Amino acid sequence: MNFERMKNALVRAAQSMGLEQYEIYAQTGESVSVETLKDEVSSFVFGTEGGICFRCIVDGKMGYASGELMTEEAMEDLVRAAISNARCIDNEDEVFIFKGSPAYETVDLAPAVLADAAQVRATALELQKATYAASDKVGDGTQSVALSFTAEEHLYNSHGLSLSNRVGLRGAYVAPVVRDGDEAQNHTEFALGMGFESLSDLPQKAVCGALDKLGAVTVPSGKYDVIFDGKQFRGFLSAFSGVFSAKNAQQGLSLLAGKEGSAVAASCVTLTDDPMRKGSPMQTPFDGEGVATARRCVIENGTLKTLLYDLTTAAKAGVASTGNGQKGSYAAPVSIAPYNFSVAPGTLTEEELFAQTPDGIYITECKGFHAGANEVTGDFSIESAGFRIRNGKRAEPIKSFTVAGNFFDLLKAIDLIANDVKWGIPRGYTVFGSPSLRVRNMSIAGD
Amino acid sequence: MISKAFAEEALCCALSGGADFAELYGEITRNNVVTMVDGKIERANDTLISGVGIRAFLGTRTVFASTSDLSRDGLMKCARAVAAAIGELREDVHVTLRERFLPNLHPARIVPSSVDAKERADLLRRGCFAAKEYDPAISQVTGSLAGVDHTILVANTEGLYTTDRHIRTRIGVSAVASGDGINQSGSAFPGAGLGLELFDRVDPRDVGVEAARQAMVNLRADYCPAGKMTVAIENGFGGVIFHEACGHSLEATSVAIGASQMAGKLGEKIANEKVTAIDDGTIPNAWGSVNIDDEGTPTQRNVLIENGVLKSYMIDRLGSRRMGMPMTGNGRRQSYTYAATSRMTNTFIANGPDRNEDIIASIENGLYCRKMGGGSVNPLTGAFNFAVTEGYLVRNGKICEPVRGASLIGTGSEILQNIDMVGQNLETAQGMCGSESGSVPTDVGQPLIRVSSITVGGR
Repeated sequence: MNFERMKNALVRAAQSMGLEQYEIYAQTGESVSVETLKDEVSSFVFGTEGGICFRCIVDGKMGYASGELMTEEAMEDLVRAAISNARCIDNEDEVFIFKGSPAYETVDLAPAVLADAAQVRATALELQKATYAASDKVGDGTQSVALSFTAEEHLYNSHGLSLSNRVGLRGAYVAPVVRDGDEAQNHTEFALGMGFESLSDLPQKAVCGALDKLGAVTVPSGKYDVIFDGKQFRGFLSAFSGVFSAKNAQQGLSLLAGKEGSAVAASCVTLTDDPMRKGSPMQTPFDGEGVATARRCVIENGTLKTLLYDLTTAAKAGVASTGNGQKGSYAAPVSIAPYNFSVAPGTLTEEELFAQTPDGIYITECKGFHAGANEVTGDFSIESAGFRIRNGKRAEPIKSFTVAGNFFDLLKAIDLIANDVKWGIPRGYTVFGSPSLRVRNMSIAGD
Repeated sequence: MISKAFAEEALCCALSGGADFAELYGEITRNNVVTMVDGKIERANDTLISGVGIRAFLGTRTVFASTSDLSRDGLMKCARAVAAAIGELREDVHVTLRERFLPNLHPARIVPSSVDAKERADLLRRGCFAAKEYDPAISQVTGSLAGVDHTILVANTEGLYTTDRHIRTRIGVSAVASGDGINQSGSAFPGAGLGLELFDRVDPRDVGVEAARQAMVNLRADYCPAGKMTVAIENGFGGVIFHEACGHSLEATSVAIGASQMAGKLGEKIANEKVTAIDDGTIPNAWGSVNIDDEGTPTQRNVLIENGVLKSYMIDRLGSRRMGMPMTGNGRRQSYTYAATSRMTNTFIANGPDRNEDIIASIENGLYCRKMGGGSVNPLTGAFNFAVTEGYLVRNGKICEPVRGASLIGTGSEILQNIDMVGQNLETAQGMCGSESGSVPTDVGQPLIRVSSITVGGR
């Protein structure tokens, strides 16, 4: 996409239609990924995408229109559509085209470059080979995927604010299928970061993860002390992240409304959002409205310090935006979301966490958050798998049970936190992390 | 969108890397959405998605490249990337395309993008207001009305050059009921492969009332107990049980690579004999219907399970090559950025032999699930989950008090055998199904069924 040319066309159209306040936001991305099956490449995928969003204020209302067709004519259509969309809005919240923050942090990353396709291919094949070599139980259906992408965003508005950022990511997924007699199990491990350097232990980890599930038994229904693997607890953070949105709070869709300054979690719980987290490939110094981002404690020692705000919700609450008005995609309206959002690590090693839990359940797999978790009510009932904990140690694998409760109770019931934060897969600029942690007395439905 | 001459040139280029087949998929999609919160129209958003994806096959190896650049340069860059990655260079490549027209089985009258946002907002307003007025305890109502106008072009080196246009409309209302410091929710999201004439069939007010009714039921519900129970699952979105417990495991995506519990089971009895299940992409104007799939294959009616016996898988082009079986018109994708793979269309359990009242009367102690939410599955193990959004305890054959917060889990192979009563009020409902090739509209459906034993994830 030729951003400058499209920007100029939009500015011309906006001016000729008498607009004074408008913003142009564009995202472009390039990706390459290679997927293997058995001992060969099954698919090679290249992608180039880019889109542009025009939004403007007409009579105090914000209208949006977006597109991927990069012609000057199409740009004029966007401006016309945005104006017409603004005219049908009757929400009276104040809207803003932002003048700019006093300063923006600098991204502490090497320039993002798309990996060479041959290197991605070689990485995928190497991982696949190592995965098969890790156990003779590994068989058909096993896949390794290596990938690389880069993305760029540009923001320009009628106040002359002009910002851009470029990020990139390389990494791999390994998903072995293991079989023992009639039983088949699978497991996925991934590593996503700046380079392909840290992938060597991925096949072994993934195969162990799958082998460990073989021979799982069911568990009687009841109340158990539960250790959530950090990889699963971050799923809860993701499923319920909307409760920290000031917009949901203001609209009565979050039970955290009005709770700023109150205890909402156990005192051992601190929850941070760190847009520029060191080691994260997805650092961003500004949000989708151009506001500078910053690290924040959302919950500190159990107390809710702040919700996450964009410009509109901040104005309504009489506070400053926290820089969390993100664009999930070029076409998405600004919507409140965290960046690197995680439970802060505790002091225990994972062994110590187990040692303090003589009897319980270790949950290493949770599925179906999109269905089984309700952000508005906080209720969840989640399909899970894992291990029994006996005598403070991981014991037999267990399957086919659910863990159920309410997120707001869960936050208060956390009593031990390990020191290992495990980060997940970035979606846009958002990535969730959590250390393993213990929650007492959870409802488990099994046999 | 892409002329025959350009398509021929790009396909030739894609083949020149030694592929034995190449296809081109172009797309122009207009999405128009209006959203409403708290009685006010909050957002109107138009998005134009346009781009092309080119894929080449060499046996069962594939290379796929996509770009949002629909120009000749963009097309050729994609084609060259595909050619370079697939194999050895060839020079004797010729492609001649012949244009194909098929009758449109899903005509739409009022294209959503042609109607002013204000008019669309009025329809949505009716739905949201009806929810708000349902009860003073309804504290918040959110809603959306989305229209999609999706034009695709498919060309391939077998000579196919064809286009299709698919229009769909969906309204959604979610209501929150509040009391005693708790929130409870309810929602309804009907849609169809129609333009705004959808509202000749669906009154927006009924949608709002349904969302509010569910929220109010849940507000007076206690938590659902946990454990194995006999469960009756109502029609409509209840069909998500088949979608998750079995449907995904019958997609070539997992079957063809041996990553499905249903691989190698054609002709075997995999379900109770009362179960007949069908995937039908031809139902006129249904939410999951299309004239042709995204590989250009006309959709068809596939009987997946007949009286408990596995009859067919859902097979896309790559799956067809891997499995040595014909394509079934199930090659689907969210957009040009995804390569098509096997996906469901409108998938449902057919009416069975049992009377609905007998199903409820047969349950001594169990759960009646009136409305279901979404779910997910691991096709390899068949382990699946889905949420109960409106449930009631059943005692001595009578539906009793409502319960909330439950999900149902099980494994497909086991649950299919446990569907031991199938009723007679088949109805379908609309969902968006997410998988490898993105999010695609699918219908799920069934009559009231009984599952003799399933784990209820309550407290």
